[in-house]
Amino acid sequence: MSLFTIISLMSEGMYRTVGIFVLTLLFSLPLGLIVCFGRMSKNFIIRTITKIYISILRGTPLMLQLMVVYFGPYYLFKMSIGEWRYPAIIVAFAINYAAYFAEIYRSGIEAIPKGQYEAAGLLGYNKIQTFVKIILPQVVKIILPSVTNEVITLVKDTSLAYTLSYLEMFALAKQIAAAQTTMVPFVVAGVFYYIFNLLVSVTMEQFEKKINYFK
Amino acid sequence: MMKKFLASLLVAVMTAAIFTGCNKEKKEEFVVGFDAEYPPYGYMDEKGEYTGFDLELAEEVCKLNGWTLKKQPIVWENKDNELNSGSIDCIWNGFTINGREKDYTWSVPYVDNSQVIVVKADAGIATYADLAGKIVGVQAASAALDVLSDEKAQKALADTFKELNQFADYNTAFLELEAGSLDAVAMDIGVAQYQINSRGGDKFVILEEHLNAEQYGIGFKKGNTELCEKVEKALTTLKENGKFDELAKKYGLEDMVCFGK
Repeated sequence: MSLFTIISLMSEGMYRTVGIFVLTLLFSLPLGLIVCFGRMSKNFIIRTITKIYISILRGTPLMLQLMVVYFGPYYLFKMSIGEWRYPAIIVAFAINYAAYFAEIYRSGIEAIPKGQYEAAGLLGYNKIQTFVKIILPQVVKIILPSVTNEVITLVKDTSLAYTLSYLEMFALAKQIAAAQTTMVPFVVAGVFYYIFNLLVSVTMEQFEKKINYFK
Repeated sequence: MMKKFLASLLVAVMTAAIFTGCNKEKKEEFVVGFDAEYPPYGYMDEKGEYTGFDLELAEEVCKLNGWTLKKQPIVWENKDNELNSGSIDCIWNGFTINGREKDYTWSVPYVDNSQVIVVKADAGIATYADLAGKIVGVQAASAALDVLSDEKAQKALADTFKELNQFADYNTAFLELEAGSLDAVAMDIGVAQYQINSRGGDKFVILEEHLNAEQYGIGFKKGNTELCEKVEKALTTLKENGKFDELAKKYGLEDMVCFGK
């Protein structure tokens, strides 16, 4: 198999890797915010439930969570799970990353001094206005480096989807390597991941510069 | 917030249920689970399509029965989960019957296989006695591992090894063998021949003694005799019209196939 064929086959896998990446961010970023609000809620029950959620999702391996989400419906409810493979991957990734994002958001929100809320209240802002117009713009700025970190980790974590026999780029690399008895696909995979992450970090850096509105 | 989250979770579960509900009304699909890193039985060809002796055979069986074949590559360690949960209909992939007789509903055997040990050609290992104190590799969840850990089989031999290492795929195993971190690797003879030939043919050798003699079959979920019989019937037809032997020859397995003998 020529290097060109290997690269073109793996580009197809890259397409699926990007698919997991985009969908995971799409669901986990907002879900993280919801979990974060739950975690900071004044209601004891909601706070405890989200605390347990975060603790379990961060405390167990993502690989195990993938298997639980995919095979769980069968073992618990005897449901047939034929079409569930891809949704299961996205669900598992999204709920896992939401737990991490929730804590990142919380770190950002709690970094804002209480005085700002009081001042906003005096100026006649209601709770929602205060959060959206005053708190959130500052929070985004604070948490961006941590979010970038997490996003880069996600790029590499997508390879875990192979546990559920989903053919993302790394699974494909392994199969080509096995059939052709060569290690070349792994080198290609490394280059692919690196380029992908380079794009991610450059984009995030640009974004960081753009929102540098207090300097 | 929590309510919303629970509601969306419920929606997701219900959507999944609807999906699976529809699934049963489609044209009959025959989903074959296989390890795509297992040439010559199932692997990826030059064009990136899945092929191999087992998969081409499955293709012919589907043609005869009017099914559509879905080739589902699986992670070998998860094969039982995949089969029991119904995401695949059978495991058809150089699947050893011996030692797993009670775990699946088996087709009649179609390949005579044996587990062998591969060493580097210049390692100076010629017999099993030479393996004492050496590090031997074996694929996780494989038949070779079963043979080496079964008291009634080759456990005694395995006890003479310094270590029995489990690896995930043959590529890394051969790399380790070449690099010297493994002294020998136990595997199926068909796979061994493929690996050795595609790596130049003279760097590795198969030891003359065989660990065992065993047979390959198609594994169906326990109790699924109906599907098993349909596949067997199609295989008989393929044997009679010569297609079976033609495929065996194509993959260099003509000395090993045993279906209908």
